[in-house]
Amino acid sequence: MLNVRDLGVAFGAVQPLSGVSFAVGKGETLGIVGESGSGKSLTAMSVMGLLPLSGGRITGGTVEFDGQDLTKLPERAYRKLRGGRIGLITQNPMTSLDPLQKIGPQVDDVAKLHLGLSDKAARDRTEEILGTLRIPEPALICERYPHQMSGGMKQRIVIAMALAADPDVLIADEPTTALDVTVQAQIIRLLDDLVKERDLALVLITHDMSVVAQTCDKVVVMYAGRAVEHGPVEAIFDRPRHPYTQALIACIPRGLDEATRLTGIEGTVPTVVNYPSGCPFHPRCPRAEAICTTARPDFSVEGDSAAACHFAEVADAQPA
Amino acid sequence: MPNLLEVRDLSKQFTSAGGPFRKARSMHAVKGVSFDLPQGRVIGVVGESGCGKSTLARLILRLIEPSGGAVNFDGDNLLAKSPSQMRKLRARMQMVFQDPYSAIDPRYTLTRAVSEPFEVQNVTPEKPMAEEVADLLEMVGLNPGLAASYPHQISGGQKQRVGIARALALRPSLLVLDEPTASLDVSVQAQIIGLLEDLRTDLGLTYLFISHDLSLVKYFCDEILVMYLGRVVEALPDTAAPARHPYTRTLMESTFEPDPKKRRLIAPLEGEVPSPFDLPPGCAFADRCPNASALCRTETPVLSAETGHAVACHHPI
Ligand SMILES: Nc1ncnc2c1ncn2[C@@H]1O[C@H](COP(=O)(O)OP(=O)(O)OP(=O)(O)O)[C@@H](O)[C@H]1O
Ligand SMILES: Nc1ncnc2c1ncn2[C@@H]1O[C@H](COP(=O)(O)OP(=O)(O)O)[C@@H](O)[C@H]1O
Ligand code: SF4
Ligand code: SF4
Ligand SMILES: [Mg+2]
Ligand SMILES: [Mg+2]
Repeated sequence: MLNVRDLGVAFGAVQPLSGVSFAVGKGETLGIVGESGSGKSLTAMSVMGLLPLSGGRITGGTVEFDGQDLTKLPERAYRKLRGGRIGLITQNPMTSLDPLQKIGPQVDDVAKLHLGLSDKAARDRTEEILGTLRIPEPALICERYPHQMSGGMKQRIVIAMALAADPDVLIADEPTTALDVTVQAQIIRLLDDLVKERDLALVLITHDMSVVAQTCDKVVVMYAGRAVEHGPVEAIFDRPRHPYTQALIACIPRGLDEATRLTGIEGTVPTVVNYPSGCPFHPRCPRAEAICTTARPDFSVEGDSAAACHFAEVADAQPA
Repeated sequence: MPNLLEVRDLSKQFTSAGGPFRKARSMHAVKGVSFDLPQGRVIGVVGESGCGKSTLARLILRLIEPSGGAVNFDGDNLLAKSPSQMRKLRARMQMVFQDPYSAIDPRYTLTRAVSEPFEVQNVTPEKPMAEEVADLLEMVGLNPGLAASYPHQISGGQKQRVGIARALALRPSLLVLDEPTASLDVSVQAQIIGLLEDLRTDLGLTYLFISHDLSLVKYFCDEILVMYLGRVVEALPDTAAPARHPYTRTLMESTFEPDPKKRRLIAPLEGEVPSPFDLPPGCAFADRCPNASALCRTETPVLSAETGHAVACHHPI
């Protein structure tokens, strides 16, 4: 459904994103995972054609959706696609909700705009979708204002708005980060069901490797504005080949598995002003050698996985 | 080991002022919390946002006054202490805050931030101050060469290390850690957790560790208190203990493992969290609980322990 190739983004002279590629198909969940500032949200904004709003531009690569390259799409056509066949859910539901308008009309408007439904048909559809999302008493909820709801309920309404247009692709940028874990689990369950029932292609952006392990089929690991490793979720967790992915997994407490001591990764996550040369991970990488400081590593492919590391072939032998 | 901290029936009620169109309302942010923290142990407090974790921390250090209950620290009843006695005691019980940005004054150099506790307490360190500061920075894994830097020149993780250095300045025996890694990236969180583990062994510290992350609490702590809407609903005596309270079980089932082979089956959770200003009678979890009975909706379950594993539930698992 969505095929992103070698995407690059710049704001003036700074280039916070380069060489990002991934693909996601119907009924499939792709995770984009990385620490803060790794470029996850920029990736989402690029696909949604929202970069110009913040003064950014795509400097290279393609975003192919249903056979057409969106990077060449005029804004008018993009506007039809956005919130239509491609939906976006963000971390803060209030960026998508109008605080002064009741819930019902806000969701109705989506179906009226994108599917050309009448008032009545749109409301029926709204209530049906709210029902699917396990929102009790949809008719009652339609009459409420956003401030009368909990954070988890608001996030469900935002999901309902995205679904109202019957999208093919849903991009969810940290949809559960602001929520409590029990609510997060419910939203994840909901998204999982939607992918299966509606054959959605879901791009789930998160900083949480455990969420990825729980719900994704494929993963892209990002670091300092680049994809450093991608592949099927089992492969990435069982046999990560990039030293950053290995270290990241070792940073996550495993509840009862106390044999593994958390070590952390020395140093800090770089920001766009100090993206390192060569391999972006080299200042923190335990395996870095001279070549890593100057030459950018190519992807080394193995099966369906690929890791951008000069030593990915031998990295297998290293304990994570 | 003797108890360093004993908390008894601690409560805090907050009242929101009324206005022309609204009644004054009150709620219990913390209600009837009791536990013992033995010297050298680490107790974790876990629960979702708003359940009263930070309020509990502030009550224990007496940064706010409780509405009821008692706190004994190393045999001293804190609530009977005068402000000046309290100030002295506070040197031995310190807090590390969630937000490393708010914990240190942006206008202070790291030297000033780390030496401030000595000034506040009017304590002269054994070594010259510059040496003392260098030692403290080194102790938390910071290069003493950073001493003249300002907070905006260092990273979030480094700021949190400064916060820990400050807390350690007067050689406390108890650290209350309120989500010390919540605003940090996981790679930096793991560094800070490693540091706290080392400090605990090296300095023989006792920790009360607050977090909303059950995996982290299970990893880091010896015992776990689970809070829901101001109350402790379960006290897990060790991290391997199975959940007996339905809420703890929900929490565990909602916490994912970083392993695609251990995916959870997420059970649907009905009902909303009630407003703390308007709690239903009986058990506050009843609306969301699969085991709820008529009794649960009338009588509040109290925390009671058989075999050292306390649970506040009429029908524990
Ligand atoms: N409008 C902008 N102008 C200049 N640089 C930008 C802009 N937006 C983002 N960046 C930079 O691009 C990099 C990636 O940003 P992005 O917001 O995508 O990260 P992220 O992974 O979403 O981070 P977080 O998890 O903190 O939201 C960062 O270094 C950021 O500072
Ligand atoms: N000063 C205050 N006045 C009124 N209500 C407060 C005050 N401080 C905390 N509360 C309320 O007490 C409850 C518990 O708060 P807190 O302990 O900060 O929760 P947590 O740290 O677990 O997120 C919340 O509902 C909060 O709104
Ligand atoms: S290319 Fe070099 S620095 Fe980068 S991850 Fe591989 S070994 Fe480490
Ligand atoms: S007391 Fe009743 S409602 Fe409350 S947790 Fe136990 S079984 Fe559920
Ligand atoms: Mg983001
Ligand atoms: Mg708090």
